[in-house]
Amino acid sequence: MDGGFAASKFESTVKAQNKGRTLYLASKSPSVPNLNEAFQSDVRPRISPGRGQSQLNVLSVTEELTGSSVIDLYGDEEDEQDEQGDEDEGENQEDEGTDGLASDNPRSFTASPSVSAPAGNISSRDLSHYDRYGFKKHNSHISQEEYHAWWDDYSRYCVRRKRKWQDLLEKSGLVSVNGVPDRFPPRSEKLKRYVRKGIPAEWRGQAWWYFARGQEKLNKNKGVYDKLLAAASERSGKASGRDLEVIERDLHRTFPENIHFQRQPNDTEEPLMIQSLRRVLVAFSVYNPKIGYCQSMNFLAGLLLLFLDEERTFWMLVIITSRYLPGVHNVNLEGVNVDQGVLMLCVKEYLPDFWPKIVPKQHARNNEFLYKLPPITLCTASWFMSCFVGVVPIETTLRIWDCLFYEESHILFKMSLSMLKICEQDIAAARQNNRALRSRTLSKDDEDIEIFQAIQTTPKKLLDPQQIFDRILFKRRFSLNNLNQEEIDRCRKYVTSQRLKLKNYADIMGNRPSANENAKRDIKMGPEFVESALSSEIYGFRRSLTAAHWNNSIKEKVRQIRRK
Amino acid sequence: MGNSISKVMVKMFGYREMKILMLGLDNAGKTTILYKLKLNKIKTSAPTVGFNVETVSFRNVKFNMWDVGGQDRLRPLWRHYFPATTALIFVVDSHDIKRLNEAKEELYSIISDKEMEDVVLLVLANKQDLKDAMSPHEISEYLDFKQHLKNQLWCVIGSNALTGQGLVEGLSWITNNTKSNNKKKTSDAT
Repeated sequence: MDGGFAASKFESTVKAQNKGRTLYLASKSPSVPNLNEAFQSDVRPRISPGRGQSQLNVLSVTEELTGSSVIDLYGDEEDEQDEQGDEDEGENQEDEGTDGLASDNPRSFTASPSVSAPAGNISSRDLSHYDRYGFKKHNSHISQEEYHAWWDDYSRYCVRRKRKWQDLLEKSGLVSVNGVPDRFPPRSEKLKRYVRKGIPAEWRGQAWWYFARGQEKLNKNKGVYDKLLAAASERSGKASGRDLEVIERDLHRTFPENIHFQRQPNDTEEPLMIQSLRRVLVAFSVYNPKIGYCQSMNFLAGLLLLFLDEERTFWMLVIITSRYLPGVHNVNLEGVNVDQGVLMLCVKEYLPDFWPKIVPKQHARNNEFLYKLPPITLCTASWFMSCFVGVVPIETTLRIWDCLFYEESHILFKMSLSMLKICEQDIAAARQNNRALRSRTLSKDDEDIEIFQAIQTTPKKLLDPQQIFDRILFKRRFSLNNLNQEEIDRCRKYVTSQRLKLKNYADIMGNRPSANENAKRDIKMGPEFVESALSSEIYGFRRSLTAAHWNNSIKEKVRQIRRK
Repeated sequence: MGNSISKVMVKMFGYREMKILMLGLDNAGKTTILYKLKLNKIKTSAPTVGFNVETVSFRNVKFNMWDVGGQDRLRPLWRHYFPATTALIFVVDSHDIKRLNEAKEELYSIISDKEMEDVVLLVLANKQDLKDAMSPHEISEYLDFKQHLKNQLWCVIGSNALTGQGLVEGLSWITNNTKSNNKKKTSDAT
């Protein structure tokens, strides 16, 4: 019954989408006068022109889109300012800044186009509380002052980086349409470095799409998305009724603090963003019933929608769930478990001091932890499932995503290790500062809580991406550099086979208590059992001789002295 | 050493610590309850994919509260958290009558686990503020504990996470009903 309700809602949104599309086509033709007016009266009477423009793109399913994101927009903005007589003077400076002139007043960035675009319909709110993607600047971990102090510097950094990108593109002979390039230079060390330092925000959608080879995927599947939508509305939620229900429950809990996902006070319709999100997730659950809908995919799709149109978002979601995180969102969670096993092996290798704190000794022997994953993995699993969306502040998330699409999934492992490293440092620092803590040894329970609290809150404070990117993740002379995609792929295969072996062995020995899927995880397995199931195959990481150890910073210090 | 200090604390002030697991179907309001207790604030909450853990002090008790993600397919991940739990708070959305049976099945499958044998069970019939919400009494009848739970201490309390109604009552019920359990635990620890 609930499925039926969801389906009817779904149908109506498909209609809305079609409306959007025709309008979009109209907008392609310059001969259609007063497009904005037409759009306003037809679909969303109170929407601002700038917002309308980008939303049209978000809704459309045409291919040749370039600037199709909510944050896109310097080109569009200029027109819009004339029409709107925008109250924020800072924006002009901001445009200039990103065009290559140093901005004298970087704080003007805070009133960036993405926020001012929807200004027309969100006049009742104080937009200075929202960042350029529509997220709230401050939360319980970051104050508005902290945010501004950081943004002052970081916005300057963004301007510098964008100028470098523009130079790079020019040298490669690539042109940009409406300020957004549709192609990027061939892969190279230099480009990798550029990506690691951050893709300009307004190019992100296009760059992700390009690096993840999205167009290739779309070309092979032309029209598939539309068919999926049609199939979904026909099926009226019979087969995937359960998924539909879960999707409905999560829609309004996706980025509730983001302005684009919020219903305005005098709104009768739901936000367009929510409608798009519903269509993408429902289409996906039809496309891949093995996955259906898994919590965390709402965050992936939601973030993509801020940068890409609906159809591209859909295909990016397909790419993420198959290429970067294979099996992670599957119903049986095996992909999550494999990746967490890989991560645990990495922790053992790269964070040897932290390792004994998270894995009890008796489980650390002979790979038992690959099957009985340590509790910490429930937290780290969520990092993988949502690719750090909501785990770290937005700018840091986006920098991770830049790298993810260029360098593939090993970046998630590196990031997780770096994050654990920071947590470890935080715990040590807290102990150092707290005499009472230093003077007594904590009970195991307290230690656990300490670790879990650090793992939960430390990432949320990583407002400044540099803090983790430059200082840990991509620090030179850091053994993590050896951890490449090949290593991760090899490690994934190893963990998969180990887990499979153990499971088969358990099956043969009749050690499976019931056919219940959940109960499988609970097979009682002592160390002897594991030992007899697994031979003494131990995973060996490739190590290079030059690799220095974490914290072995003597060489770094020598270099610093030399530089001086 | 740490143990002996806490032992002294327990003797002198009745100071205790307990691990509490908060479970329930997705969208029942677990995270909202946790942050209402911790910060006395309503956080706009997004689906919890991993978990949230906070320590909440109440009277002389420090509660380590674990709030774990709700969607059914993520539930197998909960199992890591069963050991050494003092109390289980199971949150039910009293307004979502359609899913009450699902909640019941889930609850019974959790408490049938061996690790959960000695756990005190508090059911929070949440979202009492909503019209048509089932009363705690109705929910208690529906869950049918009288029939099925012979050895376990249980209680159903109506709650409203937005105002905080019922939450403190819940914690004090847990405090009053876990003394013996806790003693056993501390003696194990030494």
